[in-house]
Parts: sequence; C-alpha cells; structure tokens
Amino acid sequence: MIIQVPNPILEVHDLTVAYHRKPVLWGVDLTLPAGSLTGIIGPNGAGKSTLIKAIMGLIPLSSGFVKLFGKDLDEVRQKVSYVPQRESVDWDFPASALDVVLMGRYSQIGLFKRPRKADKEVAVECLRKVGLQNFANRQISQLSGGQQQRVFLARALAQDADIYFMDEPFAGVDAATEAAIIEILRNMTTSGKTVVVVHHDLQSAVTYFNWVLLLNMRLVASGPTEKVFTQDLLQETYGGKLTVLAKVGDLLEKQQFPSREDKA
Amino acid sequence: MSSFWIILTGALVAVTCSLLGCYLILRRMAMVGDAISHAVLPGIVLAFLISGSRQTIPMLLGAGILGILTTFLIEFLHKKARLQEDASIGVTFTWLFALGVILISVFANKVDIDQECVLYGEIAYVPLNVWITDTGTNLGPQAIWIMGSILVLVLIMIFTSYKELLVTTFDPSYAAAIGFSTALWHYILMSMVSLATVASFESVGAILVVAFLIVPAATAYLLTDRFELMLVLAAVFGILSSVLGYLLASQIDGSIAGAMATMTGLIFVLAFIFSPRYGILRKKNEADKTGMIIEESKV
Repeated sequence: MIIQVPNPILEVHDLTVAYHRKPVLWGVDLTLPAGSLTGIIGPNGAGKSTLIKAIMGLIPLSSGFVKLFGKDLDEVRQKVSYVPQRESVDWDFPASALDVVLMGRYSQIGLFKRPRKADKEVAVECLRKVGLQNFANRQISQLSGGQQQRVFLARALAQDADIYFMDEPFAGVDAATEAAIIEILRNMTTSGKTVVVVHHDLQSAVTYFNWVLLLNMRLVASGPTEKVFTQDLLQETYGGKLTVLAKVGDLLEKQQFPSREDKA
Repeated sequence: MSSFWIILTGALVAVTCSLLGCYLILRRMAMVGDAISHAVLPGIVLAFLISGSRQTIPMLLGAGILGILTTFLIEFLHKKARLQEDASIGVTFTWLFALGVILISVFANKVDIDQECVLYGEIAYVPLNVWITDTGTNLGPQAIWIMGSILVLVLIMIFTSYKELLVTTFDPSYAAAIGFSTALWHYILMSMVSLATVASFESVGAILVVAFLIVPAATAYLLTDRFELMLVLAAVFGILSSVLGYLLASQIDGSIAGAMATMTGLIFVLAFIFSPRYGILRKKNEADKTGMIIEESKV
C-alpha cells in the first residue's frame, strides 16, 4: 500500500541502487507530504540508510530520480539537511561541540569565507535548543553518545533547512535523550519542517511518527502510520521471522489499547 | 651564513610538511605521504631523460605529475578494485618505485642520478646551489625559493579554505550533503602533499619528508583538542626540530637531515610522556579524571 500525495515535498521515482552490482534498493516510488514526521522502518539490510543516502546524492543511482521541492537536489541544497550515523565520524577529532555545530552554517557562509559572529550566535542558540549550552567548548570525544547525537542534531538545526534526513538518530542514546530528541523533532514539524528518520524500533515507531515507510529492499508501504501499521504489511516487511512476528502481534494489541499518547 | 640557509631550508620543509600532516593524520592517510615520496622516482627519471638536465623545474614537474597520479591510482584501486586503502597504497608505490629503479638501471649511462640521492637527499648542499639571475645577482639558495613558494601556497590554501578542509576531513558525508566536493578537496590536498614531498626530496630526501609529514602533526595531536592550535603547534615543533636537529648534527658531525628527523621523534616522545591530557604520566590519574567529568555533566 503506497499512498502518493499531491504537491509532495519529496518525490522518489523508480529508484534503484546497487552496491557492486548487487541491488540494495529496487524500484522505490514514493512521495512525502510537507510537515510530516516520517519514519523509515525495516529489518537490517533493508536499505534504510541507503535510501536517504541516495536521496542526499551521496551514492550513485542505478536508475530513477529524486526531486525535493519539485527540483533537483543541487538547486535546493541549502534547504535540505542531513544527519549521518554517529559512528560515521571520528569523535577523537580535535574539535569542540561548538566547532561541529558551526559546520551547519558552512553552506550559508559561502566558499572561501569564514564564519562570522552571527553564525556563532546561531550555533550557540542551536546548542541551547538541544540542551548542550554548557558543553559548547567541550572536546567532542568527552561527550556521551547521546550528547554527541544531540551535537549532530544541533548542527542540522543550525543549517535552518526545510527538510531533514536523519540516519538512526536514536542509535545508542538513553531513554531520556531519545525523549528529548523526539520532542525537538516534533517541535520542528509543528513549525512546518519535514523530518525523515531512519528507525528500527517497531515499538516506538507507532507513537513517534505520523507517516511511515516500510522498506525491505522494495518499498512495502508508505502512508500515515495508522494505515501502514497492519499485521499484513509488517509481516510482508519482516518476512517470516518468528520473533519479529510475535512482536508484531504485541504491537497490534497495543495499537488497540494505546499506552502512549501521540502528543504531536 | 650557510648554517643559516640550512636551518631555514629545514624549517621551511618542516612547516610545510607539518601543516599538511595535520590533515593527513586526521584523514588517516599518513602513509600516503610515504607512498608519494617513493612513487615519484620514475617521474624524476623521466623528467631527467626528457629535459636532459638536473634543472629543478622539470624535475618538480615530472615528480609532481607522478605524485598526483599516485593518489589517483590509490583512490582507483581502493574504490574500483575494492582493495583496502593500505593495500592499495602498498601496491601503488612499490610498483612505481620499482619502475623508477628499472628506468635508472636501463638508462644508467645517461642518467646522472641514483635512487639514493632521491631517497636521502643532502641538505648540506643546499647553500651551494644558489640562484643567480642573468644580471648576476645572487638571490640565495634555490631550495629556499622553491620551498618558500610551496609554503606560501599551503598557507593560502589553509587560510582561504579552512572550513572546506575542516568539514571534508571531519565528516565527508555531511560535507558532500551540503554540497562540498570531497573528491575535489581530496585532490587539492594531495596535490599539495605531492608538491611538498617532491620539492623537499632534494634537500631532506624522500624518506625524511615522511618524518616531517607525520611526526610533528602527531605530536601536536597529543597536546591539543583544538584544530587551529594543532596546526600552530605542529608548525612550531617542525621549526624546533630543524633548529635542534642542526645543532645536534654539528655537535656529532653527522647527517643533518637525519638529526632533524631524530629531533621530531624526540619531541614526540616528550609529548607522549608529558601531554597534559593523553600523556602516560597523566593516565595514572585517569580514574579521577573520568569521575570528574561525570560529576561535571550532572551540573
């Protein structure tokens, strides 16, 4: 079940990606509405990270195209932000939290120019938004995993984009940080931003997102969370894995008696 | 006067290489400098055969082209042949160096160089090779001019493109996502490394260039958590090594370039022992330190 929307903020058409001739994503066709908080859900190796890397133009496409705001990525890059997986960088790098957040301003500053005072102020403000104002000058290796993840989030905020792609922002963070991050993401979407998150926890996905993509090399479903989270579709996504199926049963029960309210 | 020229040459080589080295070690590409320094041999021989002289400019050109070709080959083998980065470095530079050795042996009667002079260089001869203009003005040693201009190039690169180099080094995928070409900056940096390596081989020799590329930057890395400061410290350690190295060499009447490289190692050892944060003396108090940080973050 793939629901297409009119005037999409993101359009992916017939997208196929292969690593060394081995296909990872097959014929993905989807559209996303503006202002949604979207979760990309699927088992390991389903191509979730690959999908957002392909959208961000970080890996070559075997076929298909991606349109953001109805245009090519190069025309709208300033309005698009990306949060890579936390493990993708060396946190022993000699930089402070503020240095990293300041990188979010680089695309606005322009080639060969240096950050100004105004850029620093934006960066400090974004650190405050994620609750790290007291850690601005802390070297990044001396931050906890959750704090590092929030530094990445602050960097994306500093870019002041309209659509954000985040690769596993909840990986390796504690429950309190996860709650803080989802709160920030919700505030972003209520102020009109669109947020797309790679996520692998089915349990929390139901309450976090108002739009869900189910992915397992092919796109199984795309639509509002309540329409997509059905036993059939989840089974199709996760295949016949017993433990997962048991979990799916749990989930559906919870859906009927929701324990957590979606406050968004 | 000649000792002044020697120390100045050493310092210019050291600062140029240390600054570039900061980027290399943070990109985990320290051994690329080693690879380039060997792989330029066939370029130097070919430049010699074509131009028929030991003029500096054709040599620089030949070696520079080979240096950049080396970085292309390493990237190509790593990306297309799916070889590990270190393995592709190993394949590329040994093969190119061997090619150079063969070229020298085949054209031995025509070629007035051998691999030793490329690998070891001789900084003591720097003051002898002066640049005299057509009108007869003595402008001082050629090496000073060549190394000086490469240092200026490196400084221009760092000052104008500080943020581009920083973000492509720290987080290449984010850099690409915001529209900075990681490949472009990779090749700009690698071209600079090639130029610096090649220009230094005449004075300090190809092998000791590697010491200046890696050791002062590694020393600075141990001492600071700020990248700007790392660049400054690396340059200072580079200068310090060349001055102290010269003094050591004149005391023991030994190889000057060797003494300079020895000094880089000595300073590294001192930093390793006494570094306020990562030194081994400090590590004894590691438990206290982590305890302190946990308490701080509660505040």
